[in-house]
Amino acid sequence: MKLAYYPGCVSQSTGKEMDASTRAVSTALGIELEELEDWNCCGATHVSNELVATGLAARNMAQTDLPIMTACSICYSNLRAAAQRLEETETLEKVNAVLDRKYSSARVRHALDVILEGLNEGDERIVVPLNGLLVAPYYGCLLTRPAGLYSPEFPTILEKLIKRLQAEPVDFRLKTFCCGGPIFMPKEKAADDIAFKILTEAKKAGAEVIVTVCPLCHLMLDAKQKVLEQKHGVRIGIPVLYVTQLAGIALGLGPEELGLFMNSVSPMAMMEKVYAMLSE
Amino acid sequence: MPIGVYVCHCGLNIAGVLNMEDLKSFAEKLPDVAVARDLQFSCSDIGQEQIQKDIAELKLDRVVVAACSPRLHEPTFRRAIAKAGLNPYMLEMANIREQCSWVHMEQPAMATEKAKDLIAMAVAKAALLKPLEPESIPVSKNVLVVGGGVAGIAAALDLGDCGLHVFLVERRPTIGGYMALLTDVFPTNDCSICVLGPKMSEVYNHPDITLITYAEVLGVEGSVGNFTVSGVRKARYVDEKLCKGCISECAGVCPVEVPSEYDFAIGKRKAIYIPYPQAVPLVACIDPKACIGCARCVEACPTQAVKLDQEPQDFKLNVGAIIVATGWQPFDATRKEEYGFGRYRDVITTLQMERMLNASGPTKGEVVRPSTGKIAESIAFLQCVGSRDSSVGNLYCSRICCMASLKNAQLVKEKYPHTDITIYYIDIRACGEGYEEFYVRAQKLGINFVRSRVSCIEEVEGELFLIFEDTQTGEMKRVKHDLAVLSVGLEPDSKADVLGNLLGLSRRPDGFFEIAHPKMRPVEAHIDGVFIAGCASGPKEIPISIAQGSAAAAKAVKLLHKGVLELEPTSAYVDPEKCIKCKLCVDLCPKKAIAVKSPAYVDEAACKGCGSCAAACPVDAINMRFFSDEQIMAQVRAATEVKREFPLIVAFLCNWCSYGAADLAGTARIQYPTNARNIRVMCSARVDPSFILEALRRGADGVLIAGCRIGECHYRDGNYQALQRVNVLKGVLEKIGLDPGRVKIVWCAASEGEIYAKDLRDFIGELKAMGPIGTELKKERAEEKNGETALP
Repeated sequence: MKLAYYPGCVSQSTGKEMDASTRAVSTALGIELEELEDWNCCGATHVSNELVATGLAARNMAQTDLPIMTACSICYSNLRAAAQRLEETETLEKVNAVLDRKYSSARVRHALDVILEGLNEGDERIVVPLNGLLVAPYYGCLLTRPAGLYSPEFPTILEKLIKRLQAEPVDFRLKTFCCGGPIFMPKEKAADDIAFKILTEAKKAGAEVIVTVCPLCHLMLDAKQKVLEQKHGVRIGIPVLYVTQLAGIALGLGPEELGLFMNSVSPMAMMEKVYAMLSE
Repeated sequence: MPIGVYVCHCGLNIAGVLNMEDLKSFAEKLPDVAVARDLQFSCSDIGQEQIQKDIAELKLDRVVVAACSPRLHEPTFRRAIAKAGLNPYMLEMANIREQCSWVHMEQPAMATEKAKDLIAMAVAKAALLKPLEPESIPVSKNVLVVGGGVAGIAAALDLGDCGLHVFLVERRPTIGGYMALLTDVFPTNDCSICVLGPKMSEVYNHPDITLITYAEVLGVEGSVGNFTVSGVRKARYVDEKLCKGCISECAGVCPVEVPSEYDFAIGKRKAIYIPYPQAVPLVACIDPKACIGCARCVEACPTQAVKLDQEPQDFKLNVGAIIVATGWQPFDATRKEEYGFGRYRDVITTLQMERMLNASGPTKGEVVRPSTGKIAESIAFLQCVGSRDSSVGNLYCSRICCMASLKNAQLVKEKYPHTDITIYYIDIRACGEGYEEFYVRAQKLGINFVRSRVSCIEEVEGELFLIFEDTQTGEMKRVKHDLAVLSVGLEPDSKADVLGNLLGLSRRPDGFFEIAHPKMRPVEAHIDGVFIAGCASGPKEIPISIAQGSAAAAKAVKLLHKGVLELEPTSAYVDPEKCIKCKLCVDLCPKKAIAVKSPAYVDEAACKGCGSCAAACPVDAINMRFFSDEQIMAQVRAATEVKREFPLIVAFLCNWCSYGAADLAGTARIQYPTNARNIRVMCSARVDPSFILEALRRGADGVLIAGCRIGECHYRDGNYQALQRVNVLKGVLEKIGLDPGRVKIVWCAASEGEIYAKDLRDFIGELKAMGPIGTELKKERAEEKNGETALP
């Protein structure tokens, strides 16, 4: 299978591990990725101006005829929303008037959905089955929006993938709560409180690891975890992995390939446990 | 064909503006006119006698009365000429009062010129009138009522008491509907089954009601007065005549237990069951999906009533009218995933609460937490679950849920005074007799009210927490409750789709069946002889459902009591030689009156004469008995015979709304220019594009089509069809080089005289800017010197 790959800006900065693991997992699953030529912002930087945001997304989507895959839920949501708006002739005409390559239509997919489709039940490429590792599925808000694909209130696709990797999803009631990311600049305390709540609730639910599908969620839960621990004087210490990283571990890929050393909370203890279970 | 023309003075109403002498002498010279007179008051006895005298002496065979609106006095003059021995349909009226003298008071000369055209148009049409005989058909005095809920029961009893025979068909094994499952009912908190039960038995014992339960309607043919209905009685596997309803014998030995749909799955029943103790008929029924075929019930039954080899039975009924009382279904609460219904055991729906409170329900009246079986000490009611919520596609208010929760909260509080009860609401809607007082009573009992739409429910370690913003304090809150009751809304019963499709009923955007007029015809369907009662046409409380059942019964009695039905002879008919069986007409017909056998065939009892089929027929195989193609064409030609002013507009007005609006403009003396020559049609969809083209070809500068406002067509969607045709025609005009703006379609309700006048003024202004018809062609020709002539 061949897909167009849209890395998104985070792949160049705070989410290098997301990009690395996405590419590695795709290779392992035999999915050929063709990076979009001369890609630009998905539109997230201009959400306040719908037409500009749509235009930015359209320029990306017009670069290819292949289905477009991204691992970032923000990009995913923006591209999908733009594609929906571009179904209106008026918007399409306005946008195409300024584009060199004209937009006609696009199919946008999230890496999560591509991986799940690429893996069969009991797939023999899963060489490191996660053997009951307790995983908190954390969706955040944008994977399920605009509505239509997954339920925004009670999605279950992550649980499905976690089970396919032979891990165990915990009953995580905050799975669709806001991560606090969108408000962490204007309302830092409120954002911190939310992120802290998510982390502690995940631990309470028994999770050994949290899996995310969005670099902003990841930032809030992983990069800020140490700060939150200091603030609250509590040790949390729960690794937060991108879904591509978790899938990569099960597919037997190494920490380097999956960028595991780039995570703020080291998942290495968890990795050791997984490998230990393997040899048992 | 001697025609008599009578120009009415109407005192000074007409004669004060128009030149009567001029009109009379004009009329005299029109072809086929044997006599033209001016009468002071043509509608008076003297006026009518003059007309009758002329018919006798001059052997007139058709009459034109130029006077007021036909909507006012057409019946009067029809009766008058019928008395003189003429067929009543040999009359045509020219509306020179409402649509001429009253609206052009300041332009008497131009108004007189316009009146001449109106008279000429009427005479031209009159020459083509044909005698029509209203046909009488014998009708069946049987009525089918579909649905045995409270609305259907009310309809069946009233009809039976009037001596009509009723077939009451119910899908479930018992009648009673949802009302039979409720505990006490608001606003008096009397026991539901205690008031409904006697009515249910009355239905069962009524000599004029045939009860057909556990059955489905599968086919409907025919039309008003004579429907043939076919259906099937599902197999109960129990002989209805032999079963004594003891149930303990058979159900006692049945080894299969399944969740009971009559308890909304909080209680259980056996594979052989009676829905509830007051079921009518009180006959057991075997659920074939649950039954394992062990036949222990066969042995246990003291009357040998269990028949495992019973087959479904077909039935066929002849009825004159059909009452659709198919009711509603509860909103599926699992669709509001944030409330966790189906995942959290202590989240239940109103209906489950009703069953728990019911003394004969699964908990014998105890309100318990399903997870523990212990009495619930803190209960939350969440309003508007599945109502007023665009995220689930239901924008409407379900009307009964506020009152139902108020009632259930009161019942709980009375039974367990220490229970903490909170109702989470957006608005409390308690409008009905005694409802507000009921709300106040709930407040006095100490029930809490929090204005909030709860955002979600979470279950943590077996405890429920509601998360919400209290919009009166602006606080975000997280509150623990033992039991959360989702006040689920009412949705149209999806199982009624089959019947809806068979009858051709339309649905509103909210999914409920649409009634013929949202205010004036609350229990009639668009299809003649079909009535809708109760929640099938939208959420309703019990008293209104009963009122509707009775209203539908009264309508059916009115329709059928004489045993014959007189049909307006204004229907469509098909020339079988011309019909190419394309079926275009079948889809357009709002009354489902056309079937294409070979060739197309119009059921004249069902046809209401809108004429859309005649306008749409690609080979002109369909024509109308009244408002025929030839008659309308004759009016168009007469209107354009002499071009008396610029711009000259031929206007087609639908009988129900826009013609009424034009009349109202007259009654209100709204003044507007004289340019339009109005032609009355039953529906804007009657306007065949060929009429428009003929008007333009003969020199009219513009053509106006006016219909009912969109969504208010008296034939369902005729105005949409007209709009579609006009849009296509505009494209054609553009191709041949005419300004598409010369054809204009507007909408006005019968109350909108001012809007009609404004639309007309606007159109006149637009046409003035365009110049006389053909200006654009000349311009085009001048521009392209080598261009060929494009005039059709």
